[in-house]
Amino acid sequence: MSRKSAVVPDPTVIGNVASPPFARLPDPASFFSVRAARLRQLAETSNLAPYLNFLARLATVQSDIQSGLPRPERPDTQTIARARAFEMPLLDRSTLAGDKAVGSVFDRLFAAATAIDKPVDAAKALAHVTAADHVQRLAMAHSVFSNSLPADAIAEHVFVWAGLQVYFARLASVLDLAMLAPVADGVCPVCGSMPASTMVVGWPGSHGARFCSCSLCGTLWHYVRVKCVLCGSTKGIGYQEIHGQSGVIKAETCDECLGWSKILYQNKEAAVDPVADDVASLGLDLLMREGPYHRGGFSPLLAGF
Amino acid sequence: MNMELSRRQFLAATGAGFAGTALGAFGFGEVETAHAEAIRAFKLVNTTETRNTCPYCSVACGIIMYSKGDLRKGEQAEIIHIEGDSDHPTNRGTLCPKGSALLNFVKAETRLKYPMVRRPGSDKFERIGWEEALDRIARLMKDDRDGNFVQKNNDGVTVNRWTTTGFLAASATTNETAFVTYKVVRSAGMLVFDNQARV
Repeated sequence: MSRKSAVVPDPTVIGNVASPPFARLPDPASFFSVRAARLRQLAETSNLAPYLNFLARLATVQSDIQSGLPRPERPDTQTIARARAFEMPLLDRSTLAGDKAVGSVFDRLFAAATAIDKPVDAAKALAHVTAADHVQRLAMAHSVFSNSLPADAIAEHVFVWAGLQVYFARLASVLDLAMLAPVADGVCPVCGSMPASTMVVGWPGSHGARFCSCSLCGTLWHYVRVKCVLCGSTKGIGYQEIHGQSGVIKAETCDECLGWSKILYQNKEAAVDPVADDVASLGLDLLMREGPYHRGGFSPLLAGF
Repeated sequence: MNMELSRRQFLAATGAGFAGTALGAFGFGEVETAHAEAIRAFKLVNTTETRNTCPYCSVACGIIMYSKGDLRKGEQAEIIHIEGDSDHPTNRGTLCPKGSALLNFVKAETRLKYPMVRRPGSDKFERIGWEEALDRIARLMKDDRDGNFVQKNNDGVTVNRWTTTGFLAASATTNETAFVTYKVVRSAGMLVFDNQARV
């Protein structure tokens, strides 16, 4: 009988080595409710409170309408193999948006959203999308996928985007991390959308690593720091923040493509949410507007800035 | 993205106000106006994150240095924080106690900033120019090598050793620098030697 224990020495624990996973898939059961809670928390101290509280209720609706929805199916092995062979995202969002299941998510979301207390314009937009037929909704979905919302129908498109988020977050959640591989700079490996913002995390085992947050399916994927999310350049990267703030939210600027994207330091403030804090830091967008850089990525809740 | 920019400029030019933004579209235009008014007093400051290599030992850990002020725009830059680079394959975000204290090393008042010499019999260091320093080092090394070089050992075998001078070279060097350093030092016969190329 051996007296030796089966404990395997693990020297990595001593140095607290970061070995971040390539991606973190969303958990739709808590994904939207956590975001709603963060939006409510931010509303307590922000003068954007009416908008933040409205979005908090919308996120709560996104969370609530999921009960009773059928569990989504994984893409078949052939689709996965093809996506991997040609370095494409696993989910083909343009085709999937035409799925009947998306329609039922829309119907549930738009019906539940009528109960939200909101301004007249928002109510009108909701009535528009509720009355829209399948073809019109699909056209709006494609506008969302092309990252350009028509200036006269932003609110309608945000409602459509909210429905698509629920559908794609649920699809992404049943995937296996082993299926994923990097696709391109600034492109979600799951659904091919652009990031809403990026986040330097303090999670145990991944501390100091940066993740991009998908604007559609909510997948977080690992991306090297001090590197432009938009063009992949590592030259001329700067970080701008509002003077006197705590350094939790900065604008990562790139002198090569003259683009910027928002970077959140979750390692400095644990509750940071890639969408909620993006909206709450509208001031940074307003100040950045004066400079030479244009904002990249996709954040429909701040469309038009 | 450029399309969005031109649309915004277009709407601004036609006096559409906040109709072209998400807040305006949902009917929160007044909130947006109030926020824009409140933020106007604030300014942006530029910070930089720079990748570099820890200068201490030949493990050459990756570090990220945070600084305030932008050298590219002609401002003074000041390092405010240094941490391990989690994207670097060597240290993956970790630093040893010496590396963790790099900020103090950078800011130390006693840090060596220019060539200094403590002459024989003196009790303090004095500043000298680079030319003088390099000439002095070359002279002293030559004299030492001439006096102590061992060409053959006791058995008469050629060894070409120079054991009375040692050489410690930097960690944050390229392959090419390490290669040249190695060639120069070893071909002079020096045995007491450490640099990046050892790892």
